[in-house]
Amino acid sequence: MSTVELKLPDIGEGVTEGEMVSWLVKVGDQVEADQPVAEVMTDKATVEVPAPDAGTISKLVAKEGDMIPVGQVMLKMELGAETSGVAESKTEPEAKPAAKSAAPAAKTVNTSSGITPPVAKSDVLASPSTRRLAREMDVDINTVSGSGLAGRVTRDDLVGSSPSASSRPSSTQTKSVETFVPRAFTSLEDERVPLKGIRKKIAENMQMAKRIVPHFTLMDEANVTELVKMRSQAKEVGLRYGIKVTYLPFVMKALIATVREFPMFNASIDDDAAEIVYKKNFNIGFAADTPNGLMVPVIKNADQKSILEISAEITDLSNRARESKLKVEEMKGATITITNIGSVGGTYATPIINHPEVAIVGMYKMVKKPIFDDATEKFKTAHMMNYTVTADHRLIDGAVAANFLRSMFAKIENPAELLVGMI
Amino acid sequence: MDYDVCVIGAGPGGYVAAIRASQLGLKTVVVEREKLGGVCLNVGCIPSKAMISAAKFFDQSKNKSSAMGINIKEVSLDMPKLKSWKDSVSAKMSGGVSQLLKGNKVEVIKGDAEFTDSKSLKVGGKTITAKNFIVATGSRPTVLKGFEYDEEHVLSSTGALDLEKLPKKLVVVGGGYIGLEISSYLQKLGTEVVVLEASNELISGLCDKDITKLLERSVKKIGVKVQYKAFAKSWKKAGSQVVVTAEVDGKSEEFKADKILVTIGRKPNSDQLGLSKIGVEMDDHGFVRTDAKMRTNTPGIYCIGDIAGQPMLAHKASHEGVLTAEVIAGHNRVYDAKTVPAVIFTSPEIAYVGINEQEAKAKGLDYITGKFPFGANGKAVSLQQTDGFVKMIADKKTHVVLGVHIIGPEASNLISEAALALEMGATLEDIALTIHPHPTLGETMMECAEATLGHAIHVM
Repeated sequence: MSTVELKLPDIGEGVTEGEMVSWLVKVGDQVEADQPVAEVMTDKATVEVPAPDAGTISKLVAKEGDMIPVGQVMLKMELGAETSGVAESKTEPEAKPAAKSAAPAAKTVNTSSGITPPVAKSDVLASPSTRRLAREMDVDINTVSGSGLAGRVTRDDLVGSSPSASSRPSSTQTKSVETFVPRAFTSLEDERVPLKGIRKKIAENMQMAKRIVPHFTLMDEANVTELVKMRSQAKEVGLRYGIKVTYLPFVMKALIATVREFPMFNASIDDDAAEIVYKKNFNIGFAADTPNGLMVPVIKNADQKSILEISAEITDLSNRARESKLKVEEMKGATITITNIGSVGGTYATPIINHPEVAIVGMYKMVKKPIFDDATEKFKTAHMMNYTVTADHRLIDGAVAANFLRSMFAKIENPAELLVGMI
Repeated sequence: MDYDVCVIGAGPGGYVAAIRASQLGLKTVVVEREKLGGVCLNVGCIPSKAMISAAKFFDQSKNKSSAMGINIKEVSLDMPKLKSWKDSVSAKMSGGVSQLLKGNKVEVIKGDAEFTDSKSLKVGGKTITAKNFIVATGSRPTVLKGFEYDEEHVLSSTGALDLEKLPKKLVVVGGGYIGLEISSYLQKLGTEVVVLEASNELISGLCDKDITKLLERSVKKIGVKVQYKAFAKSWKKAGSQVVVTAEVDGKSEEFKADKILVTIGRKPNSDQLGLSKIGVEMDDHGFVRTDAKMRTNTPGIYCIGDIAGQPMLAHKASHEGVLTAEVIAGHNRVYDAKTVPAVIFTSPEIAYVGINEQEAKAKGLDYITGKFPFGANGKAVSLQQTDGFVKMIADKKTHVVLGVHIIGPEASNLISEAALALEMGATLEDIALTIHPHPTLGETMMECAEATLGHAIHVM
């Protein structure tokens, strides 16, 4: 019976680590080769890691919530024969009480009884302050699988592994002042959940964008009555191919045509080099709401794709985003992003730019409104839709953004203009 | 209850525990029967370092200065003056402890103490009650049967450190670190020293074998004679001198000397204070049994330092003192240090942390090891102290440092870097890639890490 180790495989370009989201197996389970055994989240995608071979799971090395570098052992399994999940035999010899009096490292005391968490074993790699932090967090450092070199337990490993907010020693408790209390209210404990996974990634990205980019947002209302007609015809065509055609690909096409006139919107700022990078590709990110949080899949080279092709791709990417099955590559390389919050609600929003992009276009709920027609001096019904453009003020000034939105509206309000310019 | 914490013994364990306890807001008293600072400051570490420093100065003036072109005529020793200077060093340090205790609002009570029960202690005619007791009463020199200390003919380390007159000849029973430190400095000051060592190696085989080998050569070089496999049997007066009879390698031999120094180890003071009366448990060697929080089996009684077990070293006691005070204050603390550095002030000095090579072999570890000699270090050459080396042992696969062993100039000061490396779980690369200043003795650490990795610059 031989043991194999499952190491975190290379899961994508530039990915060096992943977060252990959940185990799909437990010790003692029989698995087949390539059966998914764990869910690991990288950057923004969740991937399933398959078993390397058929056998029995003997040890889960990584813990849920751990950050695992590529190449680190995640689990051990026995090939073939059953093990009935017995804990592997400990090979390390028990630390003998110092045989020859003054061997400095070993203390001749029974260090384990009645001490929680237990004392760190001598082979645990962790700095003295980390060992103390573990103790104060009530974490048994012997059970933490370190993410550092040679399994070193780092501060970060601990911050993610605390079973509960530690109860501080009495010295920090403040004395309650005797006051008249008319009636007792029940105070409930706040629930504390580690900020991790996609939520953590979103938090980091948003914070970074807000810190670096001076945002401003311009809002306006477009008459999309003509677009509605065109889209309803396109929808019929799409149905023949089994493709759902929404408004998004049209807005994408309008956006691309406008960006060609305003190249500073399809750009980024290389802060280190103090250079503006004008992107020559049109990779359009679109915000997708998923049970795990916001994800931004990318339609690569959208300028070279037809409305139908883009529609099909949007459907596919959105579905897989909801199932956490996007590849990391599918969420990289956007040059500008569209957020379509209108399908949910709200008249306007002030979105956050997906750094290092420099702009994000928002489209909102479509409503039928009475519009005053100058030609006939009468009100008529129109389909109106709100749009915003949020830009990085380092590169784009307000007037430019206003011109940009006006130019985009010309195409959205008059699809013929869009059509004649389309490549 | 009179106090939150009563510390018994004001040595490097006790006074440190008392200060930290008081800093944490606990009402603290320390009871001391002799001098503040304990053995360490008064009759141990500090006075011996003063004597060693003087002996080194003396030796260099006499034997090493002329090579540098400095001719010193008539170098002579004023032993009573040396003694009083040594005493002034101890007094200064002990006075410092007194000020620290006062400044931290720790009460000091002088007197012999005895437990009446686990919550009260009789000191002189007074009874002190406390919620917690920290017993830090240390150890004393072990008595060899037939060689009971009279501090006139048969000296303990305490008596040897307090000599008014330099003995012409001295027989030292026991080649451990205390015996060798005293032998080395007395030999340098002019005493003819013969060491009777029962085993066939020095320092009880606790050092790495490579270190022991060099130490044995170095001891010989300064003139100390060592008789291995020698068991001191009896002694008698012969005029103003003494004659020690010993069995050397099975044969009876006599050694004539002015005085006898017995340094065969130290024994915990656990037979005092009435500790067994209140039920405190001890092991076969008389060390009080404690857990990693330094708690004894008797609730409210903690033990730290020499009395709580090996290694009997001041710095271990201080570390335990701090953590025990914090445990009492309600913090979750345990003794989880990976290593206690050992330092031996022979000539040259020895210092080590972690495991040595024979231990690595015995454990069957897959390790790599390397050495770097002080002879290849510019600072050591300019100090005329080129004997010695740094040796490292590391895990072969991960290069995590497992042990560092130094014999050479300032080994005691160099070892702290190694201790930090072990506590941090550092690798050889971490040490090798840390820029060490030139020209210093510390470069030998970096070079040794490189040597262990197989590519030292300054050695072939």
